[in-house]
Amino acid sequence: MKQCTIIGKTNVGKTLFLINFAEYLGLKSLDINFAFNEGSEKFKNFSCKNAISNLVDENPHKTRCIQSMTLDFPMGKGKKKIKLVDTAGFIDGIHPDLEVRKAISQTLSIIRDSDIILHIIDAYAAKKQDLPSSMGEVDYQIAQFAQLKRGYAILANKMDLAGAEEGLKKIKEEFSGHVIFPISALYKRGFKEVKTFVARNI
Amino acid sequence: MTHKVKHTIDNPSQIHAMLIDGVITPCQALAMFSELDTHKIPLGRSNEEESLEDIMKELDQLIGLSKVKDLVKEIQAFAQIQKKRQEAKLLTEPQVLHMIFKGNPGTGKTTVARLLGKMFKHMGILQRGHTVEVERADLVGEYIGHTAQKTRDQIKKALGGILFIDEAYSLGRGGEKDFGKEAIDTLVKAMEDYKDNLIVILAGYKDEMERFLQINPGLRSRFPIQIEFNDYSVNELMQIANMMVEKRQYKFSPEALIKFETILQNRKNDINYDKLGNARLVRNMIEKALRRQALRLVNQKVISREDLLQIKPEDISEV
Repeated sequence: MKQCTIIGKTNVGKTLFLINFAEYLGLKSLDINFAFNEGSEKFKNFSCKNAISNLVDENPHKTRCIQSMTLDFPMGKGKKKIKLVDTAGFIDGIHPDLEVRKAISQTLSIIRDSDIILHIIDAYAAKKQDLPSSMGEVDYQIAQFAQLKRGYAILANKMDLAGAEEGLKKIKEEFSGHVIFPISALYKRGFKEVKTFVARNI
Repeated sequence: MTHKVKHTIDNPSQIHAMLIDGVITPCQALAMFSELDTHKIPLGRSNEEESLEDIMKELDQLIGLSKVKDLVKEIQAFAQIQKKRQEAKLLTEPQVLHMIFKGNPGTGKTTVARLLGKMFKHMGILQRGHTVEVERADLVGEYIGHTAQKTRDQIKKALGGILFIDEAYSLGRGGEKDFGKEAIDTLVKAMEDYKDNLIVILAGYKDEMERFLQINPGLRSRFPIQIEFNDYSVNELMQIANMMVEKRQYKFSPEALIKFETILQNRKNDINYDKLGNARLVRNMIEKALRRQALRLVNQKVISREDLLQIKPEDISEV
């Protein structure tokens, strides 16, 4: 089974993308597996709405474990099982909280095992310096690392916000040569292109 | 600091540990992973692989063997010029480098073959540069049809490197009906098929190899390089002995040296010298001496550093 992993800095909308993308692919309810860094796992079933209110908020580092689900990815006439994985966000510096550092280490090992990497960058914050989700050094490092993988795409998120167009321009400049899709995880915009991209790489 | 760390890291768990301990940023960790994954193969190799200079030095250190050394220089020069010609878009011809090594046991045939493999790899002549050492029993089967398959298997193993056939003349004995002939035929075909990626070296006693080539006249032309490995003089053997001892971090006492030389001198007149002699005899004698030295020391109460180093005349005996 191919593994498709969503990564990016904290607070760029990785978990929201996971949930809404799953819903877009036709899932009514989500069986999410939570893998904690100490090795334990937990299954929980959510409706899409519930999942958002439970797993998403505007504070950084909401996600501290690996949240994954297996789903049938529609491909042409048939479908193929893939594992969609949501990870803890990266930061540029060293985080003071041990739990967060553990979560980041866990994320890194997941990335190394993944076939497809969707790297989310906050287009709205791309031109700003001070937000936790602002584009940073770690984004360049991710791109550097992930280009070793077969399927690597950058998703410029939050395109629904004013000023995001400018950010998208900047992202395109900085990451020229990579596949970039503008999306809005909140309003499910740009999902069709992402779906085609994933389908092509599994 | 990062720079220093980068080069000592070779497993992922180390990076994870540093990340969790807050020693490095996620950014640095990612950079290390990229490094690790991109250079996985070259990094792992570069530590253990010797450079061409190291191998050349190793060859130069071998006592005697001036013909081999000259040949290697020729081949190396040719390979370099071929590369230049290629850049200039001139015609390049792959060299036929199949060889015949003639000489008594212990004159360095196998040692040279192994070195050549490594060297040719560095010069870009061979892909892998390993040496597969076989003898008659590895090539010749028991039943009809068995031999070709067996020989082909060995050839496949040797692709990209050197197929070294020791005592190759034994393939020619036994006359018309012997399966050895089938092995030779298979070999000759493979030498044509894989001429860019396989070097075959036939090795054996000088006289017997000559006879072998006379029986199979087609072979001589297919092995353009023929090297004779002459017996070592006692003087050369002593140089070899000194080198071997030094390599093992021992040393001869002056009396031991004299005794060693006397034994070699006597053995030279031995009727079986060409079978047991030369560098192999030296190696066996030294190994025996090391064991006897250990036996002498093991019951001694106080053992000094000098004791551990020195080989005395009483340690040396004939093998």
